[in-house]
Amino acid sequence: MDREWNDSQPIYRQLRDRVVAMILDGVLKEGDPLPSVRNVAAEYRVNPLTVLKGYQQLVDEGLVETKRGLGMFINTGTRKLLLQGERQKFLAEEWPRVHATIQRLGLTPEELEAAAKRGSKPKVKGGER
Amino acid sequence: MKYLRFVLPVVLMSLATVAFAQHDAHKATNDQVAPPEAQKSFDAMKSLAGNWEGPATLDPPQPEMSDGKPLHITMRVTSRGNALVHEMQEAGTPLDATKYDHPVTMFYVDSGRLTLIHYCDAGNRPRMVATTSADGKRVEFDFVDLAGGTEYGHMHHAAFTFIDVNHHIEDWTYMMPGDKPVHAHFDLKRAQ
Repeated sequence: MDREWNDSQPIYRQLRDRVVAMILDGVLKEGDPLPSVRNVAAEYRVNPLTVLKGYQQLVDEGLVETKRGLGMFINTGTRKLLLQGERQKFLAEEWPRVHATIQRLGLTPEELEAAAKRGSKPKVKGGER
Repeated sequence: MKYLRFVLPVVLMSLATVAFAQHDAHKATNDQVAPPEAQKSFDAMKSLAGNWEGPATLDPPQPEMSDGKPLHITMRVTSRGNALVHEMQEAGTPLDATKYDHPVTMFYVDSGRLTLIHYCDAGNRPRMVATTSADGKRVEFDFVDLAGGTEYGHMHHAAFTFIDVNHHIEDWTYMMPGDKPVHAHFDLKRAQ
């Protein structure tokens, strides 16, 4: 996890988002325990109450369950649930902006696909269209 | 005899005036000696000025917390004794609330009530008012109101328990969105 925090949200929300990203990336799998509050607090230099708030948020969203005395564990079906939510969020919030940029630049599906395969920015020959 | 009839009432009236004056002066002195309860509680809180360290335990309970890295709390009296600043930080981090997770709380007496304002990174500022136990060893702050949004929840309750001059306990309760509380308990010893 990244150790830097931004000012856009409380730290506990950013911590929640990082755990979600780790689940989506497959770093944390269903049934896995969340890293202990103690370790996260020490590693990322945050108040243990802040870590607990981030984890409790995940519990409240039904993504994580608390096993008393053992810690918090990622629920079965969490990745699917998150993927659905994140896809909807991307299509509703980010895609319109990305689509507008694609239209503005006149990028073709072939160029986008090639760029995705290269994992880099497309090189448009011939300058402006 | 005629003389005595005139002088005696004058002397008695003078004595009564002096007695009343002394009573008023005594009352005023007593008022100064015995400060209002809020000021007494604030003075007790100010006695916590200094550096404190200790472990945190949480509710909902989390494993492996007891041997965790200690939390560091700094308290200092400021504004010529009119306010107390309380800062929480992870032990070993620089005191830089712009970069690290360092919530700040201010204590002061307002309209005869010991009050705190907690400056939270959730972007809000809850205000709480104190009640002190009969033996003066526990000061509890209950939520009154809040400036800023509640989208991310807010700090809701705080309690300070005085054990001795080098040992006190703090309990902080945060209300998550949807009014679900999470609780932290700090067992703090005075540090250098």
